[in-house]
Amino acid sequence: MNRCLWLLALAASIAGPGLAFAEQFPIHGFAQAASAYRLIQPDGCPPTQRLACEESFILGEGRVRLELAPRGKWWALNAKTELIYDAVGREVSVSLREGYLDLRFPVLDLRIGRQIITWGVGDLIFINDVFPKDWVAFISGLPLEYLKKGSDAVSATAHWAGSSLQLVLAPHFVADTVPEAGGRLSFYDPAGSIETRTTDDPPASIENLELGLRAFRNLVGWDVSLYAYRGFFHTPAVEVEPGPALRLFYPPLNVYGASAQGAALGGVVSFEAGYYDSRSDRSGRNPAVENSSTRLLAGYQREIVPDLTVSGQYYVQVMQHYGAYLRTRSPAMPDCCAARHVLTLRLTQLLLHQTLRLGLFVLGSPNEGDWYVNPEASYQVTDAISASLGFNFFGGPGGSPYGQFKGDSNVHAVVRYAF
Amino acid sequence: MTRTHAGWIGSAVLAAVGAWAIASPAVAQAPSAEEVMRRAHLAMYYAGEDMRARVTMKLVSRDGGERVREMVMTRRTLKEGGEQRYFIYFHRPPDVRDLAFLVWKYPGRDDDRWLYIPALKLVRRIAASDKHTSFVGSDFSYEDVSGREPEDDSHKLLREEPVRGREAYVIESVPKEAADFSRKLSWIDKTMWLPLKEEYYDRRGDLARVYTAAEVKEVQGFWSAVKRSMRNVQSGHRTDAVFDDLRYNLKLSPELFSERALRAPPAELTR
Repeated sequence: MNRCLWLLALAASIAGPGLAFAEQFPIHGFAQAASAYRLIQPDGCPPTQRLACEESFILGEGRVRLELAPRGKWWALNAKTELIYDAVGREVSVSLREGYLDLRFPVLDLRIGRQIITWGVGDLIFINDVFPKDWVAFISGLPLEYLKKGSDAVSATAHWAGSSLQLVLAPHFVADTVPEAGGRLSFYDPAGSIETRTTDDPPASIENLELGLRAFRNLVGWDVSLYAYRGFFHTPAVEVEPGPALRLFYPPLNVYGASAQGAALGGVVSFEAGYYDSRSDRSGRNPAVENSSTRLLAGYQREIVPDLTVSGQYYVQVMQHYGAYLRTRSPAMPDCCAARHVLTLRLTQLLLHQTLRLGLFVLGSPNEGDWYVNPEASYQVTDAISASLGFNFFGGPGGSPYGQFKGDSNVHAVVRYAF
Repeated sequence: MTRTHAGWIGSAVLAAVGAWAIASPAVAQAPSAEEVMRRAHLAMYYAGEDMRARVTMKLVSRDGGERVREMVMTRRTLKEGGEQRYFIYFHRPPDVRDLAFLVWKYPGRDDDRWLYIPALKLVRRIAASDKHTSFVGSDFSYEDVSGREPEDDSHKLLREEPVRGREAYVIESVPKEAADFSRKLSWIDKTMWLPLKEEYYDRRGDLARVYTAAEVKEVQGFWSAVKRSMRNVQSGHRTDAVFDDLRYNLKLSPELFSERALRAPPAELTR
């Protein structure tokens, strides 16, 4: 914790002179201390999850971000670099969170480099947002922005007569960060006793190039988008090999989808749909690879009184070839349902001239029985300093998407000094 | 119950003042209250085909605590007195830097509003049903920033009265449908047509907020309130807004006010 204070002091000393010549050469960033304390002990500790059972602190870190963003009339550079001290693992690392060049032409915007791309209209439910995510940061209670990871990509967006077409090419595959063996998070791992594990990323080649297309325009007051993606599942599939050993790999995936968002019923109404084509398991007979599926989302958001906003979503994911899945699944795989239904509710209340935000997010699956609850309060102490305190509670059957993180339920706090 | 009561008192006061006003010969030659408010609305919110300013809002609490919001506000009018587009790009405080806000304002129905969250590279629509919500935590509401349509209220010319040495019409406006105020008094400058002062009364009839045009100057032939203040007399909180680098008629295309600009704002919308 002393080190976190030291980092804060360092950032403050950088910030002072930084502000003075900020007009000519803008330098911004923040210093942040974050911590999360485990509230529920994981039950059952396979050898691969010993650390998760021993460590009470899921998160304890200090981080300093420096951001350079010079820009001209037709170009802009953006580099966000972070120096991170992990006080739990006693490790220092440097990460380039974003680093891209923007070029602006009359009808074309180019963005080249490491960039965060967000598609779709869901609130913590992602259908057409196929870009990499950091679920470990999310479960650990880091600020929500850390759920998104940068893609190393080229994005070209053409604009013509009110319509836009975005093409994303990512030559370098970036997987989601998920809880893994030996880490601080506990998760459902039916092969928890197998310590020999290898991960195979898709080899870099022309045919493994990730490719995304999004066409969008405003249509009679609605923001309408069409999406197509060719690439890979970003969370790994698992196969047991002789030894025994586990092989983690990323099966090929195509996604086709659409979304619409508009003002209706006194609020904002959202729809999103997607078809996940699991290219290497179209018959659904390979138990290691996720089946193809259809995914639908409907959402509604409304400010019911000034500074109090309520939103809700319904989501369903229907597995294709459920029969084939049942016939080929291993006993450790759940046999619950062909369709997964999910409901979410979010309440946000702003107080004290919008400097205090009280939030509650609840997600639950009525048919699979797993849930996630996240109450959170954040306060802008001054224009530069913010502090937040929140809880992540997970529950439900051990093998379910959110129930598996029950033993990671935590209380987390973040203090940030921004400049 | 309370509202009906307040309304009744309001009407009685109104009738008495109205009778006096009709008797006064100076007021008899004045334009109608509707005409004054229509011209004030145009002077305040429709000056020039487009407008851009660097706006600094200082939020000052009763005990003197200050918070600063700094933004570039750009406006493009599609039809005088009608449809408009706003683009607001935030520079300060640091936690909202690069955040951008796009509004397509339509007379007679809810605005379309979009917010761009830079950390997530996310453009999302936000609900626009309540125009009385505070704008970025200040004492100004969304409606104060982009204008309340004069047709939404019934207006009455009460009297003529100087404000800080300038001649002004005093207009009383009562909302036709429930609003966050029960009545409003406006002091409209007789030659510039800008509101010099406004008093908002709450539903109980008590004075709630006071707007003051602290500095008015002519920019490219348009009279503009370059320093504005909104004071909540009940909480003691106030917001002082300063419009720097104010320019009109920059020849900004309406197409500039789009999702494209939210995701990668061009220089003409950010500085």
